[in-house]
Amino acid sequence: MKRVIVIGLDGFEPKIVEGLLARGELPNLAKLCEQGGYRRLKTTHSAQTPVAWSTFSTGTNPGGHGIFDFLTRDTKTYLPIMALSRYEQKNAFVLPKVVNMRRGTPFWNLLSARDVQSTIIRVPCAYPPDQIKGRMLSGVGVPDLRGGFGTPTFYSSRTGLSSEQSEKVLTVSVKDGKVATHIVGPRDPKTKSDHKFDINIQIDKPGNKIIIQSQGQPEKLEVQLGKWSKWLKVKFKVGMMQSVSGIVRFNLRQIEPEFELYASPVNFDTEEPLFPISSPQEYAHDLAMKIGRYYTAGMAEDHDGLNNERFDESSYLDQCRLVLRERRKMMEFELGRFESGFFFCLFDTPDRLAHMFWRFTEPDHPANRGVQQPEFAQVIEEHYRECDAIVGEAMKHADEDTLFIVLSDHGMNSFQRGLNLNTWLYENGFLALKANSQPGEGGDFFQNVDWNQTKAYALGLGCIFLNMAGRESNGILKAEEAEPVREGIVSGLTGLVDSDRGQVAVRSVARREQVYRGPYLSEAPDLLVNFSEGYRVSWGTPLGGVPRGLFEDNLKKWGGDHVIDPELVPGVLFMNKAFREESPSLVDLAPTILNALGVPKGAEMEGKDLLS
Amino acid sequence: MKILVLNLPGVEPKTLFSDERLENLHRLMDMGCYGELKGDASAWNVLARQENHTLTLLEFLGQADKHCASFENFSALQSKLESQDWDYCQLIDAGLKNATSRADSGIADEYLRLDRELGEVLQHLSDDTIIAAIGDGCFVLVSSNNPISGEHKDGAIVDVAPTLLELAGYPLPSAVEGKSWVAGMELKNASSGLTSEEEEILRERLSGLGYI
Repeated sequence: MKRVIVIGLDGFEPKIVEGLLARGELPNLAKLCEQGGYRRLKTTHSAQTPVAWSTFSTGTNPGGHGIFDFLTRDTKTYLPIMALSRYEQKNAFVLPKVVNMRRGTPFWNLLSARDVQSTIIRVPCAYPPDQIKGRMLSGVGVPDLRGGFGTPTFYSSRTGLSSEQSEKVLTVSVKDGKVATHIVGPRDPKTKSDHKFDINIQIDKPGNKIIIQSQGQPEKLEVQLGKWSKWLKVKFKVGMMQSVSGIVRFNLRQIEPEFELYASPVNFDTEEPLFPISSPQEYAHDLAMKIGRYYTAGMAEDHDGLNNERFDESSYLDQCRLVLRERRKMMEFELGRFESGFFFCLFDTPDRLAHMFWRFTEPDHPANRGVQQPEFAQVIEEHYRECDAIVGEAMKHADEDTLFIVLSDHGMNSFQRGLNLNTWLYENGFLALKANSQPGEGGDFFQNVDWNQTKAYALGLGCIFLNMAGRESNGILKAEEAEPVREGIVSGLTGLVDSDRGQVAVRSVARREQVYRGPYLSEAPDLLVNFSEGYRVSWGTPLGGVPRGLFEDNLKKWGGDHVIDPELVPGVLFMNKAFREESPSLVDLAPTILNALGVPKGAEMEGKDLLS
Repeated sequence: MKILVLNLPGVEPKTLFSDERLENLHRLMDMGCYGELKGDASAWNVLARQENHTLTLLEFLGQADKHCASFENFSALQSKLESQDWDYCQLIDAGLKNATSRADSGIADEYLRLDRELGEVLQHLSDDTIIAAIGDGCFVLVSSNNPISGEHKDGAIVDVAPTLLELAGYPLPSAVEGKSWVAGMELKNASSGLTSEEEEILRERLSGLGYI
């Protein structure tokens, strides 16, 4: 085969896809089905974007690439840290370097070694980008300018407004139709204060718009009421001698009686990203020259803005469409000049949209709080049809000599109830709190945990770690004590019933060696909790909280999720060539793609060629 | 603490402070203090004048049984730094190669080369190093415990040696020529532990994920 084209649709759920296919509403995917075939695709443990796409790229289970969850912990401090990449600094005098924590060998490295070109757009867990022959633009894992997954800013003339999840709130005053404020930039590691970029806002009441004046580009940016603005390029002076640039866009919520403006997280600038986000390094800039500025942050969709109710569902939809359109432009531009080798483009939007709109498909979802909004019940299906049109566009570039694949990394499900895993560990004697403290006190980061008496703790999206002597800084369990503790947790949690609802919340708990093998097994969580449909780890758990009570309703707009038993959330796989395998898995993609391009599969790759 | 002195003859304040391409030098300036220096540039290593003898920094530390070494090019210096077996290192006469013909258009490239070589040297240091770069009438000084930041005015070339010794915690000899800039000041110490502010930073960074 001369070419392989892979279109990734993050979080595309088989049940929705199959329903739409049956009704004839996904004509292009139906065509693929006819030409080759369609199957549900086995996902990874756990069913998360970074874990699954790393398995796609390396062809190994997570034990072979080292990505087990978005989060892991620092064994010295027990604090949660990003698991995807790390900043390493040799000493205080040199710049930190980003190190990708996805290990293993991605198949595009093997292609490069055989001089086969690749074009790879927005692949997760490639930050910093892999050095390949061809072009790569990094995806999930690229932070915003503040170094996190994304911090937006909300400007309001209302006083006393407090910050919600991951956001900055700035109280501003309107004087003679003008607002003087600033964009919040990176934090200065020395002074701990935020760098600022001044903006002056001119309110045009009759025109229902504002003009943002600054020394950025453009100097005057118009923002219409209720609409997303174009990008503003800003520059933060981070030292006497150094500056860092970024790009930000706005959504104007209200002019009066209160002034309310939302600013997206400040993304790395496409022209001069703070750290490399493409290979070759200048590719990020070259692409922007062709298609305009684009979102560089791994999480492009502003779900926080909606979750914190800083804008409404329609605005979130608009923004998802902006991201989708922008990604489509990238795809079309690159496919237009794609001749041979491997092509990949990931569309994240189906996942981010379904997380936020799932609740509208379930009248009894607690997050609806009794209010039905039928106008949003069809949003996900509508979005799937748009994705089908994109697939159709890409298929125009597939000839007889092209293997054409559409796949998702995992599916999507309901998230109605959350389980406070640390509280369960506490109630069952595996986690101890300091004297006189109770669950519900202390917040995140295991603040009240007594490590000298704690055997196990939960962190991330369903991970449980043992407090091992010699591994954790205050570890107490000796090697021979580990298994009885694991056995106690496995038997206690398996089949755990949510008594309020009379439903089984936990289907099973996996020991790590049951689901992983390979060189990075020792970095994996000791146990993985496999939740039932409708359940997930609670909001208070991932960062190390011990909230009061075991189960709670999920009242957040983020009402759909997929971090449950991986058996319940497979992805989808469409190919334009016939394949017989009845239960394909994500590990099979790397060998299939390599074989199609005439390159032998890597020694560590575990899957099989689906076309043979 | 270790002391590393880079004597860079030919480097002038005008270019050093304004050429934005000198990334490494400028990062060091942001981390510590910098400024112009009065006095004879060649007196950078003078610590004390005693009777008929001029005591240099190298000599003084050598007498105190410290591991001292002097180099004339970056690569020799680098291999010594890598060994970690040193208390005081100095690089001398490693400034601009064409320092005598300043009109030469290659001079800007020489600054860039210098900055690149400095960048390489920095890779081999540990955090407990005091770095002083000294040009013709200008300096950059970085030390984790240095209480002075930003531009330091009215410094004299002979002040550098006593300032370095005081930051490194050595007692000063008698008849010191210059005056330590940090005399009587409280030195900074490295903080540890997670403050509530740092917790807030961590929470913010991670919670943008959505799943949390």
